[in-house]
Amino acid sequence: MEAMSENKMVPSDFSTGPMEKAAKPLPFKDPNFVHSGHGGAVAGKKNRTWKNLKQILAAERALPWQLNDPNYFSIDAPPSFKPAKKYSDVSGLLANYTDPQSKLRFSTIEEFSYIRRLPSDVVTGYLALRKATSIVP
Amino acid sequence: MAAASVAGPAANVFPFRDFRAAPDPVLEAGPVAHGPLPVPLVLDNGSFQARAGWACPGPDPGPEPRLQFRAVCARGRGGARGGAGPQVGNALGSLEPLRWMLRSPFDRNVPVNLELQELLLDYSFQHLGVSSQGCVDHPIVLTEAVCNPLYSRQMMSELLFECYGIPKVAYGIDSLFSFYHNKPKNLTSSGLIISSGYQCTHILPILEGRLDAKNCKRINLGGSQAAGYLQRLLQLKYPGHLAAITLSRMEEILHEHSYIAEDYVEELQKWRCPDYYENNVHKMQLPFSSKLLGSTLTSEEKQERRQQQLRRLQELNARRREEKLQLDQERLDRLLYVQELLEDGQMDQFHKALIELNMDSPEELQSYIQKLSSAVEQAKQKILQAEVNLEVDVVDSKPETPDLEQLEPSLEDVESINDFEPLFSEETPEVEKPVTTVQPVFNLAAYHQLFVGTERIRAPEIIFQPSLIGEEQAGIAETLQYILDRYPKDVQEMLVQNVFLTGGNMMYPGMKVRIEKELLEMRPFQSSFQVQLASNPVLDAWYGARDWALDHLEDSEVWITRKEYEEKGGEYFKEHCASNIYVPIRLPKQASRSSEAPASGKGSGASGGGAGE
Repeated sequence: MEAMSENKMVPSDFSTGPMEKAAKPLPFKDPNFVHSGHGGAVAGKKNRTWKNLKQILAAERALPWQLNDPNYFSIDAPPSFKPAKKYSDVSGLLANYTDPQSKLRFSTIEEFSYIRRLPSDVVTGYLALRKATSIVP
Repeated sequence: MAAASVAGPAANVFPFRDFRAAPDPVLEAGPVAHGPLPVPLVLDNGSFQARAGWACPGPDPGPEPRLQFRAVCARGRGGARGGAGPQVGNALGSLEPLRWMLRSPFDRNVPVNLELQELLLDYSFQHLGVSSQGCVDHPIVLTEAVCNPLYSRQMMSELLFECYGIPKVAYGIDSLFSFYHNKPKNLTSSGLIISSGYQCTHILPILEGRLDAKNCKRINLGGSQAAGYLQRLLQLKYPGHLAAITLSRMEEILHEHSYIAEDYVEELQKWRCPDYYENNVHKMQLPFSSKLLGSTLTSEEKQERRQQQLRRLQELNARRREEKLQLDQERLDRLLYVQELLEDGQMDQFHKALIELNMDSPEELQSYIQKLSSAVEQAKQKILQAEVNLEVDVVDSKPETPDLEQLEPSLEDVESINDFEPLFSEETPEVEKPVTTVQPVFNLAAYHQLFVGTERIRAPEIIFQPSLIGEEQAGIAETLQYILDRYPKDVQEMLVQNVFLTGGNMMYPGMKVRIEKELLEMRPFQSSFQVQLASNPVLDAWYGARDWALDHLEDSEVWITRKEYEEKGGEYFKEHCASNIYVPIRLPKQASRSSEAPASGKGSGASGGGAGE
């Protein structure tokens, strides 16, 4: 059995025109090509998916980099040193106040009454937007 | 917060365009591609859009890249149809119905899924009219991420060389190509590139025409994070329109209705004022159908229908009762006859009859007769009552009083209407609403508008303040300062004289002014700086790559040939003015797949192409 890519049929056909809609062999490709990355180094039935970026970077870290070599994870921007400004979750204006019950930030009285009337899923949504969801339920 | 009244100005109401891409035609390569030398193909492989075209030598620098399509693919709807196979880019038309089935080869800005990349390349080659047999016989210029992981470059080289059989390839960084395209004298000068794309934003210092890679920084925020943020903001504000607030519409709002504030805090203060808000809020009109209008007007018809159903039910029940009554009556008659037999003293017949009736003694017969007769009486009573109710229903035709009230006396009716209860519970609230004919027209349109006020500046602001979205990384301004501080003062001076902005996410109105303001804040008093925006931030990378390809056609020191790929491995590449920095680390070659047959349907193979070991 020849190794085949997804949309290849019989490798002996190299016509330019489409034969059938179902499996049209593209003439400029090698129909016997198989990705070696698919399945990874530990090939076989288990590992059939592509590595995602996290896995690739984890593997890259293990390579013998020198201290000054640029690589993908060394050029990540550093975390911020300046304190973040607080903005209202609802309107985006500068927020001076925080609701102790729901931990949402607000800037005016109307916003406060709006916040107090929100259903809990919307409240969680606003907090998740800021990644401020608390671990304790 | 939504202070705008219904009767506000009709200005600032914008419809959604809901753009739908037309499928690309299969272009003919044209005579220019079959020149004496194979013409290079330039492919700007972006996570948002892929742009492909020929680098045609000759007097005419050439128009836009022939193909520009979203770098996504999806299978046809309705499960995996055997025939059609995955569709790519513009052949998908509108992206929204397939939103959950869209797959992209990219993970952040690095291609990781090379099968999907293969599909995108197939699509590009096919539609550009590549007609060579057995291999793609053109050199390829491909863009890659800054400091592309070696593994991903290896995979990409493998795909290009093994599957497509290209003669030579060159990898470059898109923002550098754009930089050199805009100012040819940049090839020897220094500068600072701020390039913001779909998935991340890079700040790249250039020294003497060459990338200073160890001082580059990348912020993992770009257009897609801004679109996601805007979508969640609007969905939380308008929970009723959850499904209508789609990512494509968010991108439309970002591209056309958002801007970067020069001074964020000051701009927010302006937005506090209701007049400013009124004048500057953009009300995005969601499409809505006036069928809703029609349904409220026929609520009376619905009530009519309900009454009819009630009546039918009652009639049905009455008929059932009558039948039962008849049956019971007959049975009662028989039993009475048997009882008479007893009274008349015909014991034998009586006993026979008892056995037929399955009873043991005259007492049982008696009790049974009593039960039956009382049941018959009750049935007659109920029939009378039901008839009275029916008459009452017919007389009383007020639509607003719930009809269930009148059914209470006849419990049987209520039981059988339990099936219809869901229907009723939906509709009774509507009964309470006054059915007005004039107001709904305006209410409906205003109900389907999304008021985009401060969101216009909030969403693009995340690259300056990632804390808005909860990211810990520093924003552009702080990262810029961090990078500049790593250089001596004279080099800093040189770098800020040539700040260059590129990338699709830089196209907000007010971006250049904002960067200038940030630089003003961080540079020493009365020092100068110069900020320039790319002439076409989206396509300049492709133009730059094309110009580069034409300049370096003959130069063998920048292309990686197939021979070199086989000798030195896929992660090998050659440096040039617009490339990454090469670090000589060899990756172990990935083991070619063994003879297992994986589920993707590829047949087992002795060795995956290329060096079979």
